[in-house]
Amino acid sequence: MTPASTNVFTEFLDDYFAECDEHLTAMRRNLLTLESLAQQERVDVSLLDELFRSLHTIKGLSGMVGLAEAEQLAHLMESILRALRRHQLDLSDEAVDALILGTRTLEQVIATRQTRQPLPDIAPAIKQLEAITGPLPDLPPSPEETPTAATETRLPLPRESGPPAFTLREGERAWLFQFTPARALAERGISVDSIRTRLQEIGQIVHAAPRIQDGGKVTFEFLVTTDADDSTFTPWQEDGLTWAPYEPPPPTPAATGLKAVPTPSIGPPNVVRVDLTRVDDLMQTIGDLVISRARLEDTLTSLARHVPAAQQRQLQEINQALERQLRSLREGVMRLRMVPLGEIFERMKFVVRDLARERRQEINLALSGQETEIDKLVVERMLDPLLHLVRNAVSHGLEPAEERLAQGKPAEGTIALRAATAGDSVIIEIEDDGRGIDRERVAEQARAQGLLDAEAPLDDPTLLDILCTTGFSTRRQADRASGRGVGLDVVKKTVEELGGSLALDTEVGRGTRFTIRLPLTLAIVDALIVSVGGQRFAVPLPSVREVIEARPKDVTVLGNEDEMLSYHGDVLPLIRLAARFGLQEQFERAFYVLVAAHGAKAAGIVVDRILGQREIVVRAISDPLIQVPGIAGATELGDGRPLLIINPAVLIGSRR
Amino acid sequence: MTERQAPFILFQIADTTYAVHSEAVQQMEMVEHITPVPNAPPFVEGVVLSRGQVIPAINLRTRFGLEKKPYDLRTRLIVVRSGERTVGLIVDSAREFLAIPPEAIQPPPDTASGMSERYLEGIAILDKRLILILNVDAVLSIAPSEELHLAEAIAEVKDALLAEENPPA
Repeated sequence: MTPASTNVFTEFLDDYFAECDEHLTAMRRNLLTLESLAQQERVDVSLLDELFRSLHTIKGLSGMVGLAEAEQLAHLMESILRALRRHQLDLSDEAVDALILGTRTLEQVIATRQTRQPLPDIAPAIKQLEAITGPLPDLPPSPEETPTAATETRLPLPRESGPPAFTLREGERAWLFQFTPARALAERGISVDSIRTRLQEIGQIVHAAPRIQDGGKVTFEFLVTTDADDSTFTPWQEDGLTWAPYEPPPPTPAATGLKAVPTPSIGPPNVVRVDLTRVDDLMQTIGDLVISRARLEDTLTSLARHVPAAQQRQLQEINQALERQLRSLREGVMRLRMVPLGEIFERMKFVVRDLARERRQEINLALSGQETEIDKLVVERMLDPLLHLVRNAVSHGLEPAEERLAQGKPAEGTIALRAATAGDSVIIEIEDDGRGIDRERVAEQARAQGLLDAEAPLDDPTLLDILCTTGFSTRRQADRASGRGVGLDVVKKTVEELGGSLALDTEVGRGTRFTIRLPLTLAIVDALIVSVGGQRFAVPLPSVREVIEARPKDVTVLGNEDEMLSYHGDVLPLIRLAARFGLQEQFERAFYVLVAAHGAKAAGIVVDRILGQREIVVRAISDPLIQVPGIAGATELGDGRPLLIINPAVLIGSRR
Repeated sequence: MTERQAPFILFQIADTTYAVHSEAVQQMEMVEHITPVPNAPPFVEGVVLSRGQVIPAINLRTRFGLEKKPYDLRTRLIVVRSGERTVGLIVDSAREFLAIPPEAIQPPPDTASGMSERYLEGIAILDKRLILILNVDAVLSIAPSEELHLAEAIAEVKDALLAEENPPA
C-alpha cells in the first residue's frame, strides 16, 4: 500500500467510528423507550424500524472495516428486530435484555477497536441473543443484506466528505472512476482491491469513497490523477468500471502553492453533526434565561427607590452586560440552526426540469441568493409552498412558446427564484416572465362567488386575498402542475404561521412576482409591548417602521368611515386594533400608531399605549381553535401570563 | 385473569359527573391567567401556557350549550392530549381519580338525537352514581361552528336509563 492510501484508510476509520457512535447513541435512546414498552401488545413500529436501520448500517460498515465481531452482533440483533417487526416474537423482558446486552457489547467491541485494545469476549452476548433468535425460522438473508463489498475489501470509506484538493502535474488529468462490485465480477476476480491496484499503476489515487445507493448497494468512487491516455483504461469498461473527467473545484487561496500531495487530516473533519432536538433544548433554555433576565430587570426597577444610586448603577451595568451576553449566546445558537436556502432551490431545478419536459417547453430557472441562510424549521416548512409557487409559475404563468414568440418574448420562459437577507427578515421572490394574472377574469369569478363587491377595485393585495381564498380557482380543470398539493391559500397560511407575509405584483403580459418575507429566526425577537383595551400584546419590532403619537383630532374620517392620518405629507390608513379584536379602546388624550407595511401597502395600527420594548420568546400557536388571522404566536414576560403576538402584515393585508 | 381496571379522572359540569381516561390527562391546574384570543370561537376562553406550550382553554359549559358560570376555587383546568393536540378543558370541579372496572362500563344508550353515541365512549354506574365517559377526541374534532347541545343529550341518557330501570307498567 502506498502512503497515500494508508492515510485514506485512517480517515475512513475515523469516519466509521463517528458514524457508529451516532447510531449507537440513537440505539441507546430507542432501546430505553422499547424497554418501557416491554410486555405490551402494541409496539411502535417506527421505533423498531429505526433500531433496525441503525443496526443494519453498523453491520454494513463493520463489514467494510473488517470488524467481524461487530458484524456478527449486529446481525443477530437485526434478526430479533425483524422477528419483532413481523410479530414472530413478543417483546419480552428477555428480548429487551438481550438487545441491551448486545448493544453494550457492540459498543465495547467498537470502542476497543478504536483504542486498539484487545477485543472483549462477545460469547455471552452472542449466547443470550441466540437464545432469543433460536426458535425463529432460519431467515435466509436477502441479497442486499449480504454485503459483497464487505467481503471484497477491507477498505473502509467515508460517506459524504468531499474529495481533497490536489494539484495536477504537467500532462496529468484527473478522472473520477466508479466501480460497483458485483458477484459476477467477483467470480472473475475483479474486486475493489484489484481495481484499486490497477488504478494505482496508472497514476495516483487522490481520493476514494463509497456511495451507498438506494437498496444498500455500494458504489466506490476513485479520484485519480494520471498522465495516461484514456485509451489505457477503455478496456476496463467491461470490468464494471466507469469514468468521467473530473473538474477540480477552484482552489482556495490557502490551498494554492502547497505541495501536490494532500496533507492527511488528523482525526475526523472539523464538523460536528448535532441532532436538531439538542439545539432546540438549548434554545429553550436560552428562552427561559431571557425570561429570567426580564424578571431580574423588573425586580431591579421596583427596587430602584431602596438602593443607593452607586449600587443601583452597578446593578444596572451587570444587568445590561447580562443582556448583551445573552443576546450573543442566543445569536450563536441561532446560527447553529441556520441552513442555506440553496438546498431547496436545488430541488426546484428538478421540478422545473420535469415540468418543462412534460409540457415540452423551454424553461430557464434563474437562481440567486442560494447562500442566504434561514432557520432550519422555516426551510422545512417552506418547501411545499415554494414548490407550489414554482409549479404555479410554470402552469399558470408561462405561455406556450408560439404565444411567447408572437408577443416578441423569447421562446424560453424564465422563472427567477431569489433570496436575500434584509435586516431581520429573509425575502424570497418567485417571478415569472409569463402572461401575468388576468384581473378581469379573476374579478368576474370572484364576483360570481361573492368574494368581491361589484364596485370594488382589484388592487394587488385584494387580488392576492382572492387567489388565496380556499377553493377559489379560475381553472376548470386542474392540471398536474398546479392542481395538486397545497393551494395558494396554504402557501399564505404557512407563511403567516411562520410570522411572515406574502405579497403579489402582477402585470398582464409581463409576468407575476410573489414576494415572501420571513423572519430570520423564529424563537426570539425584539418586540414592542403595547396595550389595547386593557389587554397586552406584543408586536415584533422588525415589522414596525415607526411609532407615532396621535390625538383623535389628527384623524380624518372619510365617507366610508375609513380613518386616515396624515403621515410624511401622505395619508396613512388606520387600523384600530380594538375594533378588529372586539375590545374597547382605553386611551386618554393620545393614542399610538404603529406604522407597518404589507408589500406596497402601509397602514397605521392604533393601540392605546406603548408599555415598553422587550426581547420575547415566540411560542407557536398550533391548535386550530386559537389560530386567528393577525396573531402570530404567543409569549410571556416572566409572569406566566401569555401575551399574543401580532403580525401587522396580516392585519394590513386582510384590510378591506 | 381479571382485566385491568382503567383509571379515570372524574369531573363535574352542572351536577353531572364525567370521566376522561387519566392517561389522556397531562395535568390539572387551578384556573388563572387565561389570555383572551380575539375572534376565537365563543367557547374558547383564551390561551394558557402549559409546560411552555400555548394551548386553548375551552369552557366545556359553553361548549356543551350550558350557561357560563364564574370561576371559583373549585374550577379546574384539565390539560388533555388528543392525538397531536393538547387542550385545556375548564370544568366546574375535578377532584377524583377512579379506577372503573371494565364490566361496569356499558355502551351509551341510543337516544333520539344521537348525541350521546357520538360524544360518549360509554357510561358507568358505580354506587348508584352515573358517570359519563367523554370521548374527548370526538368533542374536539367537531367544527367550532357546530353547536353541541350535550346537556340535552345528557337528559336523554338519564331518561333512557330511568326507563330501563323502571319499565313502564
